[in-house]
Amino acid sequence: MRRIYLVLALVLVAGLAAPGAAQQKLKAGFIYVGPIGDYGWTHAHDEGRRLAQQRLPWLETIYVESVPEGQVEPFIERMIQQGARVVFTTSFGFMDGTLAAARRYPNHIFAHASGFKRNRNMATYMADFYQVYYLNGLMAGALTKTGRTAYVGAFPIPEVKRHLNAFALGVRAVNPQATVHVRWIFEWFNPAAAKEATEALIAAGADVFAFTEDSPTVVQVAARRNLPSFGHYSPMQKFAPRHVVSGQLVHWDRIYIDFLSKVYAGRYTADNLADVDYWWLLAEKAVELGGEPGVPVNPVFRTALQAARVNTPDLGRISVYDLVMRRLAQMATPQMTFDPFTGPIRDRKGTLRAPAGKRLTVAELTSMEWAAPGVVGPWPKEP
Amino acid sequence: MRRLGPLVLEPDPVPPPARVLGVSLFAIAGALLVAGGVFAAYGADPLVAYGVIVRGTFAGLREASEVVRRTIPLLLCGVGLALAFRAQFWNIGAEGQLLAGAVGATAVALFVPIPGPWVLVAMFAAGFAAGALWGLLPALLRLRLSVNEVLTTLMMNYIALYGVAWLIHGPWKGATQFGFAYTDAFPEAARLPLLAGTRVHWPTLAVGLVLAAALAFLLARTRLGFEVRVLGQNPTAGRYAGIDPARTLLAVVLLSAGAAGLAGVGEVAGVHHKLLDPGQVSLGYGYAAIVVAWLARGSPLAAVLTATLLGAIFTSGDVLKVALQMPFRVTDVFNGLILFFLIGSERLLAVRIRWAPAATAAVPAEPGVPGTPETGGGS
Repeated sequence: MRRIYLVLALVLVAGLAAPGAAQQKLKAGFIYVGPIGDYGWTHAHDEGRRLAQQRLPWLETIYVESVPEGQVEPFIERMIQQGARVVFTTSFGFMDGTLAAARRYPNHIFAHASGFKRNRNMATYMADFYQVYYLNGLMAGALTKTGRTAYVGAFPIPEVKRHLNAFALGVRAVNPQATVHVRWIFEWFNPAAAKEATEALIAAGADVFAFTEDSPTVVQVAARRNLPSFGHYSPMQKFAPRHVVSGQLVHWDRIYIDFLSKVYAGRYTADNLADVDYWWLLAEKAVELGGEPGVPVNPVFRTALQAARVNTPDLGRISVYDLVMRRLAQMATPQMTFDPFTGPIRDRKGTLRAPAGKRLTVAELTSMEWAAPGVVGPWPKEP
Repeated sequence: MRRLGPLVLEPDPVPPPARVLGVSLFAIAGALLVAGGVFAAYGADPLVAYGVIVRGTFAGLREASEVVRRTIPLLLCGVGLALAFRAQFWNIGAEGQLLAGAVGATAVALFVPIPGPWVLVAMFAAGFAAGALWGLLPALLRLRLSVNEVLTTLMMNYIALYGVAWLIHGPWKGATQFGFAYTDAFPEAARLPLLAGTRVHWPTLAVGLVLAAALAFLLARTRLGFEVRVLGQNPTAGRYAGIDPARTLLAVVLLSAGAAGLAGVGEVAGVHHKLLDPGQVSLGYGYAAIVVAWLARGSPLAAVLTATLLGAIFTSGDVLKVALQMPFRVTDVFNGLILFFLIGSERLLAVRIRWAPAATAAVPAEPGVPGTPETGGGS
């Protein structure tokens, strides 16, 4: 009988001690716009969350998926009630709701992905693909036989236009006569529409494919016709091992780990985030070139890319494979000795967008509406 | 009449309120029991889950106000549908009428220069008119060509949905939204005031409550209401009595669709402050309102209760997602179970259970009243 009391006392002590230990932990909440089981945006953020939780022993995370835009504020509130001190919101549409919550909870820390509004306790962050799309474009320009490459776009918004333009600049750097044919599907996730767009582009003579859509549909449809393509957002080489040349991969964990570590160390507080804007690229390793982690170029295509040679102003005559690797290395250095959006750049109507030697600023990149030379097809809101 | 041991089951088309309440609570208890099984299968303690639902839905002003916020559009759509169902007009188009109302309100907010406080009044008027207009076409098709309104009102939803998508991607796309598919934000004067300390846009709530009371009065005390009830129960008798079915039906549809349009005004002016993706403007409120009106059995006042009930069900799903880290599919199953049990139990309301022990059972069991056809006792 006495032993039971002893056990009870031990349990009681352990119970009292536990909250003390828990206070050392930092709790972060993640609010997602889609289901974590998609094969794109939300899935990638959730991977980042899980990696951060694995790496940072003091971190505890909670998440909520498929949150409608009008509901973000109550969901933030519920997370704060659950003890979250940092809340990440991962959709452009959450911007105003996150800002309202940041004003209502001045002692909590917020970070919003892909937006532009900040506050003393609200930072913004983005891992962007434009440099990777440029590298994909270099390869596409070398691989096209018809001189027509293709891009299946989700929405004609600045983010997708920037990626498409970077791809087109890459294609033209290798193959000055080649074109990029574009189709918009007006959905982030719609395999049926992506399939239809891909088949229409194939019928129009395109033979290399890049895209923005959260499924491997374009890769699969192109592979069925024996045509090469570039994976988007998630590792897609496994869906067509002999046809995916390369692609774009994201590592949100890099940003989450950096941000949360600085919060934990006290460098980021609820008072000094008004100018904190993560715009992370290849140099910060927030994005990666490849259709599979650690595989920047599918070995199946190495010979073809090494055989294609091209003249460059700074590197002389060089194989496309070496060019891709050199440009990748240049952009991966902290000094970023190369950037695709460096002037002189004219849009497809001939308007000068970047004078010789000038690099586009982040603000110019994030508000890009013009179309690069070589882009063929409808372009809503073209200036 | 049917006999189960000492109990007699009798048909009773007009159930007393106590039975409605009892059966509904019984249904919710049944749903919670089954949902508990789902929670346990997922690995969450059902008792903990129930506690979380109660605390997160009713515990304080903050929590309760979120239920109210979800209730507002359900209420406005629900009372309108209740009226339409009383007239045997099966309006499945509240979702599209809500979106039409949102478009009407947005047009006024962004493009019509109106001074100060009159903006909101004009937005509500435009929203009502746009919603009513959206209901008018199916009503005319039914009256002139006898086209089934279940199909036409449903199809009008998709037209509204794609219409909104076209507006935000095309002519109304905002200049200040970084190319994303939203209209510009409404000016301050076109935003609804909130109840202090909450996010409840109270003017819309007030409109909903007044509308519920007004429609209840209309049904019970006015000539139009009488005509609606007669036509709903027996159209042939109505015509013999000299009621103009076209005029009555048009009035009903305009009121019903207009009310849904008001819900759309509340969502854009009180929650979003811009027009955006149709799937974000309405979280399926127009469809859920069908359940609201059905459970309210065509009574606008009862729709206040049933809309609140549905608001609470949806909110409790949200609470479970955060507090217990449940995937949204599990909480959707939970919501579906409660609705399934509530709607399923509706049939039981029409049955009276009477305690009639064996002594009276000695009387021959055949129904004795001559001339009345056997209507069957319940299931």
